[in-house]
Amino acid sequence: MCAAAARAESAPIPHGTLELVPENPWIAAQSILTPGVATGRMAGGHTFNVGLRFQLEKGWHIYWINPGDSGEPARVEWKLPAGLTAGPIEWPTPRRLASGSIVDYGYEGAVLLIVPLHADASLASQSAARLGAEIRLLVCSHEMCIPAKAALSLTVPVKAQAPVPDATTVAWFAAARKSMPRPPSQNWRFNATEDEDFFVLTAELGHPITQTVFFPLVESQIENAAPQTLVPRASGFRLTLRKSNQLLASVARLKGVLVVSGDRTPGDGTNQDRAYVIDVPVRKAGATKHLEDGDRSVK
Amino acid sequence: MKRATLHSAPGPILVAMLLCALPVLAAARVGEAAPEFTSVASNGKTVHLSDYRGKYVVLEWHNNGCPFVRKQYNSGNMQRLQKHWTGQGVIWFTILSSAPGKQGYATASEENDFLAKEQAAPTAALLDPDGVIGHLYDAKTSPHMFVINPQGVVIYDGAIDDKPTTDVNDVPGAKNYVSLALEQAMTGKPVETAATRPYGCSVKYSDATH
Repeated sequence: MCAAAARAESAPIPHGTLELVPENPWIAAQSILTPGVATGRMAGGHTFNVGLRFQLEKGWHIYWINPGDSGEPARVEWKLPAGLTAGPIEWPTPRRLASGSIVDYGYEGAVLLIVPLHADASLASQSAARLGAEIRLLVCSHEMCIPAKAALSLTVPVKAQAPVPDATTVAWFAAARKSMPRPPSQNWRFNATEDEDFFVLTAELGHPITQTVFFPLVESQIENAAPQTLVPRASGFRLTLRKSNQLLASVARLKGVLVVSGDRTPGDGTNQDRAYVIDVPVRKAGATKHLEDGDRSVK
Repeated sequence: MKRATLHSAPGPILVAMLLCALPVLAAARVGEAAPEFTSVASNGKTVHLSDYRGKYVVLEWHNNGCPFVRKQYNSGNMQRLQKHWTGQGVIWFTILSSAPGKQGYATASEENDFLAKEQAAPTAALLDPDGVIGHLYDAKTSPHMFVINPQGVVIYDGAIDDKPTTDVNDVPGAKNYVSLALEQAMTGKPVETAATRPYGCSVKYSDATH
């Protein structure tokens, strides 16, 4: 009503803070009514993104969607007006958090989880939308874990004119999107085989790769703490992943996020870590497969 | 599977070195013999796992500050399981592998106070501040549960149940894997779910042991 623009609301969490950050200060009614405008994914609708921005003290972490050996990812329950529907959390690429024989996947420092809210035409006639979020999470250090709950709400005005985001918010969302895993190039070829103890992921990317990290999307597929053995090849790499001790059912597909270091993306010119979402069918390794690749160092 | 990290059969000296440096190599596996251990319990007694051959043994990795453990104790579920199964002749060891200064570490008297306050009923609470038993079993989380059969073979390794949350409300509807393994094994059936991903807080091991 009196709110000219939505402002981030924050709450303390153990050893840090959590903010609910709207990407834009208001929802533009025009973009809800115009199909295909902005990042709208649904016909006749519009996507309004909000961020859950965690800032943690040094030594504390939260978890990725697959937390790894321990922990629990943040969960959000939304309270939204009619006309708004929350999509799934978009998770930035996590880090390996090692503590002895335990390896978790999560985030330290500052991290922004993006949640797309889909607005349909009914929202255009409203003057504002009240967004409520109840967040449950686990904050851990190597010494202890503390559960947390936070309830945050925002009133986002609906206005006729195009929104003008502030520079800080733009930078936060840009940084989060930069660290989101993306689909791999159409020209790349991935192949996954398994034997009793290992998955072997081979990739043909057109150039040698010397460093990768694989983050499994599904829990208990690989032994998280086991070394991931990379063998660079002329046009890519071969990565050996130890199967999880808890793996009793067979794995049809290897799904996850693959971070490739020093990837030379055409037209970019920089050498940096890039993360890709991969989903590769797994087939049984042939008896002669290991020798056929001319590589005897893995097994 | 762990043994497969060795490229070829090493000599006895190399094996000894590896075992010292990487105790995880000897980790417990479903279907294999449960690694033997000796430990001091909070009641002052010395416990040898092999003394309980002929009985079912449950190992419960514990950290009294961990929210996932609090969920089980605040709901009374862990105490109920302990009472029920020890009543059936099962040996139940609650194991504390947190290092001094870390969450879940307790001295013998602190642990005895905890057991009394919570009306917990394990056979004994084993104090493992150096993480020796924890590493021997590759215990990853609190709670992380193991079930050993009367022949001394590990028949279950994993989570306490199928609801990996800290929410007390999730206890009533959960499928308890420990009880299922014990019920199935005691009636001569194969254990349907013999290994799961243990969930919880990471075991707060001493930094010196890895």
